[in-house]
Amino acid sequence: MEAALLDELGGADTPERAESWRYSRNALRALAQLPFGVADPDAALAPEVCAQFAWPQTQGRRLVFINGRLSGAHSDLRDEGIVVADDAATIRIVDAARPLHLVHIGVPGAAATRWQTALRLQVEAAQASLIEQHIGASGAELFAVFDLRVEIAAQAALDWIALSELSEQASLLRRVELKLAAQSQVRRSDALFGGRMQRLELGVELAGAQARLESRGMFVLRGREHAEVRLDIRHQARDCACDVLWRGVADQRARGIFHGGITVEPGADGSDARLSSKNVLLSALAEIDTQPVLEIHADEVQAAHGATVGQIDERALFYLRSRGIPLEQARRMLVAAFCAQALGAIGDGGLRERIDALAQARLPSPDAAQ
Amino acid sequence: MLKIENLHVRVAGKEILKGLSLEVQAGQVHAIMGPNGAGKSTLGNVLAGREGYEVTAGSVSYDGQDLLALEPEQRAAAGVFLAFQYPVEIPGVNNTYFLRTAFNAQRKARGEAELDSMQFLKRVREKLAVLHLKDELLHRAVNEGFSGGEKKRNEIFQLALLEPRLAILDETDSGLDIDALKMVADGVNAMRDPARAFIVVTHYQRLLDYIVPDVVHVLADGRIVESGDASLAHKLEEHGYAWVAQRRVAGAA
Repeated sequence: MEAALLDELGGADTPERAESWRYSRNALRALAQLPFGVADPDAALAPEVCAQFAWPQTQGRRLVFINGRLSGAHSDLRDEGIVVADDAATIRIVDAARPLHLVHIGVPGAAATRWQTALRLQVEAAQASLIEQHIGASGAELFAVFDLRVEIAAQAALDWIALSELSEQASLLRRVELKLAAQSQVRRSDALFGGRMQRLELGVELAGAQARLESRGMFVLRGREHAEVRLDIRHQARDCACDVLWRGVADQRARGIFHGGITVEPGADGSDARLSSKNVLLSALAEIDTQPVLEIHADEVQAAHGATVGQIDERALFYLRSRGIPLEQARRMLVAAFCAQALGAIGDGGLRERIDALAQARLPSPDAAQ
Repeated sequence: MLKIENLHVRVAGKEILKGLSLEVQAGQVHAIMGPNGAGKSTLGNVLAGREGYEVTAGSVSYDGQDLLALEPEQRAAAGVFLAFQYPVEIPGVNNTYFLRTAFNAQRKARGEAELDSMQFLKRVREKLAVLHLKDELLHRAVNEGFSGGEKKRNEIFQLALLEPRLAILDETDSGLDIDALKMVADGVNAMRDPARAFIVVTHYQRLLDYIVPDVVHVLADGRIVESGDASLAHKLEEHGYAWVAQRRVAGAA
């Protein structure tokens, strides 16, 4: 079963792919022990799950998938700017007054289940925006594989927020392939919360001249949660830019991995590549690995990268306490401020507050045992 | 109000304070002067409760309670305030939010009602005017990108806002030009009160021309070696710290 699962997820077909699973192989191996059944796409949604995605600002532009299949009952699509093909596997954004909200919900069954789905998204609007949300409800073990291919037309722009809120029993593998044509722009902000095993593979081809990617993201983990983020950004044309800024927080026995790969291919002259990955450990048993990998095969390239793993700044902590702020509150303030560096790009106030609240809820609470 | 007896403090295995004794009454301003490395900053940090300062002997009593047994936030709520020599930059934490959180945390710890944003902002505006600080500093992150002078004035602004009963100023004058120095001194003088005491730690006498102390102490090699009135500061300025060392040798002989 384990070998089959590794093969199926593409881990064994090349040495590079197998190596890319180095940090998450044990987590995957543990999952592979489970006898997965097929998840039920007609599963009912609990009211509290519905409340997680029923946001007023995305009314009329919402597509809800339950265990991988589009749910007519929960989706709400009245906007003409969005075109969904009959098989629901291809979505086109041709006009963009408000964000398209894609919701993927994993609903557990009586025993361990899994589901898999693939989507294709074409962005043709000058200023489109997308909210990609993954919810892994709590219950029995659940393992989802989500493949998404996004194409950005020349001169189009996409503002994209991706949020995953997984229970401790939910696992999610996301393989996102993004291709940008000339002078197009994508600004993606990720927030990853929870999960027994979650892995985000974000492959980006800056295929046309002057394409630009801004990737912001954070993961906040606790308990025995395990999350891995792998970016593979390829500069393929002249004068492209990428700006990557990620923050990670791990508490208790949680495990985080950030791999930031940027390749400037031959001929992609005039590239500008920036990467920053900073991480904070809140407990002695938590672990985060970060690897920035820049490969440059072109001329006139500007590149900068920095990666750190550390603890909360003791000087700042003492400064706050010396003004009367209790220890745990001071720690929360500093961690929240640390995470906020990665969320600065999210303009939508309501959504920003929601993500802030999710992060806060996962930080050590004042009454938690030390 | 504050009674320090025979205080011995070790930092990173090295003894810095070697039997310091000091008594401060409410309403007084004490200046502590001394050469570099005498232990001036150590004193401020120990009183505020910074980690890494190991008290090996002696006691500190504040309003009759053992100050050293309290956490830093408990000391703050009890009215102890340290104006940092090097105020810390905290990116991502808004200055107003920080001040209100601190202010209300202290009130909560004392069992007093917390202020809402409107009440708090009104209070902030009053204090800003006294220190000639720009509103704009409130909207920035704590000390982030502040000039040296702005950081020091922000410390005194916090002092004015939090209204502690015992304020320790750790080399607040260092790095200030004369105008900023006067503003800081004005801020402190406006706070002088029969119920409040100040310990002003400084390397130079200049600040004491504007904040005139009741008592001046010379701290050298981990203990107080000489105490006197404000004129002692002038003598020190004239003769240098070597003069105190010589007097000690002469006195011992």
